[in-house]
Amino acid sequence: MSASRPQEIAELQRALAGVGYIAEPSLAAALLLMRELERPLLLEGDAGVGKTEIAKALSGIHRTPLIRLQCYEGLDAHSAMYEWNYQRQLLAIKLLEHDERAGTKDLARREQDIFSERYLLKRPLLEAISGEQAPVLLIDEIDRADAAFEAYLLELLSDFQITIPELGTVRARSRPFVVITSNGTRELSDALRRRCLYQYIDYPDYDKELAIVRMKAPGAEAELAQQVVSFVQAVRRMELQKKPGIAETLDWTAALLRLGISTLDMGGAERILDTLSALIKTRDDRNAFPREVVARLAAAC
Amino acid sequence: MAALATRAAERLERFPGFLRANGFGIAGGDTVQVLQAAERTGILDQDVLRWSLKALLCRRGHEWRRFDELFDAWFLPANRWQRPEPRETTGDGAQSDAHPGGSREGERGGEDDVRPRRAASREEVLESADFSALAEREHALEIEALMRRFARQLKQIRVRREARTRRGRRLDLPGTIRRSVASGGTPFELRWRTPRRERPRLVLLIDVSRSMVLYSFFYLRLARALAHELDDVHSFIFHTHVTAVSQALHDADPWRARERMHLLAQGWAGGTRIGESLAQFNREHAPGLVHGRTAVLVLSDGYDTGDPQQLSRELAQLRRQARRLVWINPLSNCPGYAPTCQGMQAALPHLDLLAPGCDLASLRAVLPNLIDTLH
Repeated sequence: MSASRPQEIAELQRALAGVGYIAEPSLAAALLLMRELERPLLLEGDAGVGKTEIAKALSGIHRTPLIRLQCYEGLDAHSAMYEWNYQRQLLAIKLLEHDERAGTKDLARREQDIFSERYLLKRPLLEAISGEQAPVLLIDEIDRADAAFEAYLLELLSDFQITIPELGTVRARSRPFVVITSNGTRELSDALRRRCLYQYIDYPDYDKELAIVRMKAPGAEAELAQQVVSFVQAVRRMELQKKPGIAETLDWTAALLRLGISTLDMGGAERILDTLSALIKTRDDRNAFPREVVARLAAAC
Repeated sequence: MAALATRAAERLERFPGFLRANGFGIAGGDTVQVLQAAERTGILDQDVLRWSLKALLCRRGHEWRRFDELFDAWFLPANRWQRPEPRETTGDGAQSDAHPGGSREGERGGEDDVRPRRAASREEVLESADFSALAEREHALEIEALMRRFARQLKQIRVRREARTRRGRRLDLPGTIRRSVASGGTPFELRWRTPRRERPRLVLLIDVSRSMVLYSFFYLRLARALAHELDDVHSFIFHTHVTAVSQALHDADPWRARERMHLLAQGWAGGTRIGESLAQFNREHAPGLVHGRTAVLVLSDGYDTGDPQQLSRELAQLRRQARRLVWINPLSNCPGYAPTCQGMQAALPHLDLLAPGCDLASLRAVLPNLIDTLH
């Protein structure tokens, strides 16, 4: 069994590449473990390193739906788990009032009916555990939600069940693959961390990023792709407020292609400057790229 | 063969303990998880084991970065792991570890490695200035209680103000209809939306250089009390560079908190380079931490041996990101004090407020208003 493990990892890497995600073997190993131990995977790292993409790729290779819960300040349990469809319930009550033929026995049945699944609006968390096939549940940027919500989530993640007072307890028919991402704006609780497998995702190195650019932007010539990647890698080494992520690299490549630029060179600094807004997103950072700097960087590529 | 398996299992079993000794947040149940995971991955391929355990046992970014080194130290024979490129040289390390002979050798190597490290940290403790004021003086407890009370008052103020500013209420339709079910669909009782609470954030940058030595204990205690009572307080200490101390301060056990502070505070009570420290803060911590409802408090006397221009530049950048930038200077209560030193001169144009902070009374005058402005 142990002999086949590296093969399993290589297989998973191939499968991920098949749906457009290039993963390191360490990430693939963690994903295998996540599947076997049925534990959530907590991903941390800077914005734009492809944390969310991992969940999408996972749903791609398992051919299961991706259910996404975007966290924000003030997210409460109801908008994450379930809500009753009050308008429809009210309508049903009104209809019941005007329906004079109904007997008392019938009334009791209809009352039951009002708190049945027909009037339940499933929000992401309930939806994730009520499907036949295990979906991928992406809880995005959990650090934006507050600590109280995190506590709610713990209950779900340990038992995979949600209790609805009027309806009873809904148990998961199949355990979803849970991927949690965090940008580290708030320290997450130890309890949550303890339940998760952990991966810290860094900016990709040259080879990985080149592979990503070649895969996602097939229109770029090999030479341009290499230049773009080494340019971006050089930009990341500078001290910037907001370092460009992979999405920015791809945007920039697309912008260059659109302008018909096929190679980066000294003379093309003007045209590079025109497209730099796809890569550099704050004014201060933009000021760090006068014409000479861009020309020097381009020449070094 | 069975003996070999038990040996390897034993070694694996003690790995979480080794990580815990090196400051990882490992719980008791993790050993079981490690064995379960190892059963699935096998122990022969060293990289696979490394990646799997890394995902399993790391909880935070800094642990993630240290893990490889500790893994090498524990599982590889002593003479191998310290080579410059451990990853390349360890190709056959796993196999030899699985053999009985190699395993014994590795075991010895691992433990030898632990001891010098502990000794080194003890030396660091001796080198850094005495921390005893944090827990040992008789009136320490009194001050602690006072701080707590103060922090709790701050919380009270916040809650009261929140209640008062509930103008412009909005109807909570689902809630109202929900309630009307009890009265047959006629909404007698209305429900209102509670205003969305936004989390204000306090960031404390505490100067722990030599000139501040009388006050920094006091401020750390304040940081600790504030962090206990308010949700979102982040503390950093700085002298020539910045160190995050929120985690260490948060430790429930005051003795362990002290230990952790010792380890963090290399260069405690040394010189100050405020500009450089702030630059490091802006680079490493501010992007994820400082937003439009953040108040940044710099607690320092402003005696700076660094470049005042840099200080000015970094403060200007902080000012743009934060809601309030406040400088609390313990000296400015002294009669005849004027902010004439280079550091304060450079800082003044960028501050929202320069306030005295040598005792609790002066803090009492500043903090409630500050928190109020964050809403």
